[in-house]
Amino acid sequence: MNNTATQIGNFSSFSLFVSRESALLWSNQENIVQPLFFFLITVSLFPFSLGNDPELLKTIMPSVSWVAIVLAIMMSLSSLFRGDYEDGSLEQWLIGNRSLSLISLAKVLVYWLFNGVFLSILACIVCLASNIDLEHIKVLFISLLLGTISLQLIGGIGAALTVTIERSGLLIAIVVLPLFIPILIFGAGAVVRSVSGESVTGALYTLATLSVLAITFAPFGMSFALRNTIE
Amino acid sequence: MSTSNQLSLENICCIRGNNTLFTSLNSIAINGDILRIRGENGSGKTSLLRIIAGITSPDDGQVLWNGERINKSDSFASDIAYLAHRDGIKNEFTALENLRFYQQLYHQNNPQELLDILTALDISHTAYIPARQLSFGQRRRLGFARLLLASTKLWLLDEPFTGIDVEGRSLLEQHCLNFLNKGGIIVLTHHAEIENSALIAREKSIDLTTFNPIYTHAETETA
Repeated sequence: MNNTATQIGNFSSFSLFVSRESALLWSNQENIVQPLFFFLITVSLFPFSLGNDPELLKTIMPSVSWVAIVLAIMMSLSSLFRGDYEDGSLEQWLIGNRSLSLISLAKVLVYWLFNGVFLSILACIVCLASNIDLEHIKVLFISLLLGTISLQLIGGIGAALTVTIERSGLLIAIVVLPLFIPILIFGAGAVVRSVSGESVTGALYTLATLSVLAITFAPFGMSFALRNTIE
Repeated sequence: MSTSNQLSLENICCIRGNNTLFTSLNSIAINGDILRIRGENGSGKTSLLRIIAGITSPDDGQVLWNGERINKSDSFASDIAYLAHRDGIKNEFTALENLRFYQQLYHQNNPQELLDILTALDISHTAYIPARQLSFGQRRRLGFARLLLASTKLWLLDEPFTGIDVEGRSLLEQHCLNFLNKGGIIVLTHHAEIENSALIAREKSIDLTTFNPIYTHAETETA
């Protein structure tokens, strides 16, 4: 098989995995609904605990949303590869020189579409309900879209490293949390700066850079981690 | 499947923890060969199959497919079918969808072939049932169905007859024989004896205990 044919083969297997993952996620809807519910519950607890102070809520809601999304994504990570590991599908993809990085990228992208994007939209709705100006919400939305894809890709490496461990939630958190913090700083920072009237381009560009780096390198990280964890 | 294929194992060594399971294992299989891996529980039968499939790398030596190292070979992934304990079947998908996915993974698209395969394994009535509702035996047959996809040239079977009834077993053995007659290569492990006499006649075996350094050493000492 020559090079072009291999590339076509890789592309078609990428789209094959995108459609497979979408179908799988659609039939396991708890994986879509659970992070959304977790997010809603977390952010709705804040008004209860902080009392009736609309101004305070207005200032903290964007940051609270960011934190809740980081936690929601962290909780969803353990299911990324676990199902495929348990039923042996993952073993099948390890056979030969199949591009595991493309497969992992396809998986994470689908998860991002159903988790990251939905969560970002939900966060914007919540912030809109706490009476935050539309221009800050725009910044929040862009920072979340850029941030969640990096979070899920980096988290994917943690999920790949712990795929053979049965209850891996805590371990994944320990592995990936330090890597999540820069994204949280720039993401939540962008909104805070926007609210205080400062320029947000720096923070948003940094988030964009991080997501490009994550898209470029994380698939190789996941592939390497999977090949070495599954013995 | 007229092309000739060759699987060669060169000096394979497998170490698990402090135990060397087998070392300096050499073997060659060509078109029409059925290679049976023998050995006690824990002697490394599954480990060897996983090494041949390229899922784990051997601690020493190499596996060649048509003269190329398997992790460098472009054709290997689409030539091989590996049936393991974990069958790679998604509960969420129907039998047909599961099979179709593997067909597409081999870069083919032929809906009729899928139905033919399910019919050949006597599970066509389960085509539109989600795999989670299949019985254990039906599930094993569905796992076996993946092997019958046209492009495969090498089968690695880890205890393929577990949980399958007598009729199913002779059916699967017949399929194995047909595959060999078409020039396929099979490497398998199983406990019970094969019943199909034509298949037994072609069986070559590797006994892993003869490649185990501790066992071999003990032998020479007593002798």
